[in-house]
Amino acid sequence: MAVTLDRRHRGASRWVVLALVTLGALVMLVPFAFMLLNAFKSPGDYSSAGPLSWPSEFYLKGLTTYWNEVNFPLKLWNSAVIAGSVAVLGVVVSLLNAYALGIGRVRGRLWIVGLFLLANMLPQEALIYPLYYVAKEVGLYNTRLVVIIIFTVIQSAFGTYLLASVMSTFPRSLLEAAALDGAGKWTVLWRVVFPNLRPTLAVLLVFFFIWTWNEFLIPLVMLIDNSTQTIPVALASLQGDRLMDAPTTNAGALISLVPAVLFFLIFQRTLSRGITAGAEK
Amino acid sequence: MGRFRKLGVAVALAAITATTLTACGGNDEGGGDGSDAKVLKLWHYESANSAMGIAWDKAIETFKTEHPGVEVQFERKAFEQIQQNAGMIINSSEGPDIMEYNKGNATAGLLSSQGLLTDLTEETEKRGWDKKLSSSLQTTARYSDKGVMGEGNWYGVPNYGEYVMVYYNKDLFDKNGIAVPTSYDELTKAMDQFVAKGITPLAEAGAEYPAGQLFYQLALSKADRAFVDNYQLYKNPVDFAADPLKYGAETFADWVGKGYVAKDSASLKAEDMGVSFISGKAPMIVSGSWWYGRFKDEIKFNWDSFLFPGNKLNAGSSGNLWVVPTNSKAKSLAYDFIDITLRPEIQALIGNNGGVPVAADATQITDPKDKKLIENFNTISQQDGLAFYPDWPVPGYYDVLVSGFQSLINGSKKPAEVLDTIGKPYADGVKEITGK
Repeated sequence: MAVTLDRRHRGASRWVVLALVTLGALVMLVPFAFMLLNAFKSPGDYSSAGPLSWPSEFYLKGLTTYWNEVNFPLKLWNSAVIAGSVAVLGVVVSLLNAYALGIGRVRGRLWIVGLFLLANMLPQEALIYPLYYVAKEVGLYNTRLVVIIIFTVIQSAFGTYLLASVMSTFPRSLLEAAALDGAGKWTVLWRVVFPNLRPTLAVLLVFFFIWTWNEFLIPLVMLIDNSTQTIPVALASLQGDRLMDAPTTNAGALISLVPAVLFFLIFQRTLSRGITAGAEK
Repeated sequence: MGRFRKLGVAVALAAITATTLTACGGNDEGGGDGSDAKVLKLWHYESANSAMGIAWDKAIETFKTEHPGVEVQFERKAFEQIQQNAGMIINSSEGPDIMEYNKGNATAGLLSSQGLLTDLTEETEKRGWDKKLSSSLQTTARYSDKGVMGEGNWYGVPNYGEYVMVYYNKDLFDKNGIAVPTSYDELTKAMDQFVAKGITPLAEAGAEYPAGQLFYQLALSKADRAFVDNYQLYKNPVDFAADPLKYGAETFADWVGKGYVAKDSASLKAEDMGVSFISGKAPMIVSGSWWYGRFKDEIKFNWDSFLFPGNKLNAGSSGNLWVVPTNSKAKSLAYDFIDITLRPEIQALIGNNGGVPVAADATQITDPKDKKLIENFNTISQQDGLAFYPDWPVPGYYDVLVSGFQSLINGSKKPAEVLDTIGKPYADGVKEITGK
């Protein structure tokens, strides 16, 4: 009842907001519309009529060329393995770190969190040569494992920062009650803290997955064989020295985007389920 | 779990090897001529349907029939990956046995000075590659111990060439009753006629390489070989306030003032310039042979090209190089492959697909337009007319030139000011390289 009253009160401003949001969404969709438009255009058509024109024929060769030339299913598998592993491992590591920092209240935790954040803020270009050197010495250069390790560390740095500040506001009474019931640190983590943080962790999981999916520089440097490369690196192979093939690049971008969007849509459901589940408690 | 065990072992191993390896500090164990190698790992980054892509596919086939029992592991790479990481890749044991790499001081020169590329001088002389390549093509294949091109050992072998020319839309010339120019004066006259009809005669792109190349092309019309040696190979200091660079900048500004080049092209990219020519809007562009294959595929009107009128020297060079990394495990196979790519039939294949072969017999080229492209190149190459590119001499110079000529096109700076702003970074950069 209170809700409907509230809505009536705002009246006209609600429509203004709606119009603004719609406009914003449309603006966001414009690049996608262009991509869609040009993905189905032949290179000749693109060059003679420009990027804004309607395709004169439904041209699928760009899509098939890209699919076959880069061996897309293999790249998809590589990207999924890397992004999936990083998402899961990153969340686990973040949770453990943050438990120690946020609830365990380690001395000097502010500095530790700051240090973690530094790993996230440093430009990757600055990290790349040391990482390359270590990877080569350890014999992991040109393996997917090295990319998984690096991104687990980078992503969990951010995750630790976020979760540590969430956990520092965790109700102390809950923890004390659990301690009174005789729960050890491990039990508290899995039985009390973890269930309460599930929605946040799910969001982190999705973020880690999508961020890692889109990463370019480190995979580009670390994965030199075509058999280990990820989708963004494969997409870059369409860009030549002095020439570009805009329609094929658009077609490639379109196929490359689909898995990430699908992943998001699927997780969107579990996400909202997780959030409502958390709210009930 | 196996993954983690592998990691554990790897970390332990690394701890041991790191100390021993850095102690010997050489890559000598990767040496040897590898004549008994059974695998040739070959990388390049030309697209499959480009002239080089087609010709090299054929070269791989020939190689396979001549080396039964050798497996060729070919991978097509992203240009950017090689551009950014070549040093890291070939410094590891995961790199290729032979690969295509960019020519120039900042790329092949740098890697050769770091000892990452195999010295090919002996093979070159033995197999006669030096006799197939003209002297201005050899410039980009040879590097000094400091990594400066021009003289010294051979570290790469080019397969194709490139040069800057004038492409024109024949239909637009005919429709407006304008004659195709054959001299510099006729060129400016033709451009005046286009301007009078309200058409901007020359598409340009200020945000990327084309503007710098037009400036260089204009400067070269008043230059000789000594200037190119000074500018590109640091033989003597270059005066930016004097001809030919002064003439180049002033003429460029003059062309903008007369409306030959549109003021709003300052912010355009090379792709925009190419597309405005392909779509039939621009009568002419001054750009390189790398467009040729695409123009041939995509343009529907009558078009052709001519050498920049009146120039003996033209922006251009050899194409990218075949290089053999020091860590290559199959060096003698790599040399065999390079040799195959220089054979007449492979070179003719480059020519017949719209590329510019370095060692082709023009009579073997069937398409008349392709033939002209190659004959023009041979003309330049034989009169030692390849003058390289304006952004080559010092690292980071590309951006300096782009911003300089952007301000010249949009009229925010006078030619003398532009020359001043591009002259300083050049002098500083040369000082850093030569130590003078």
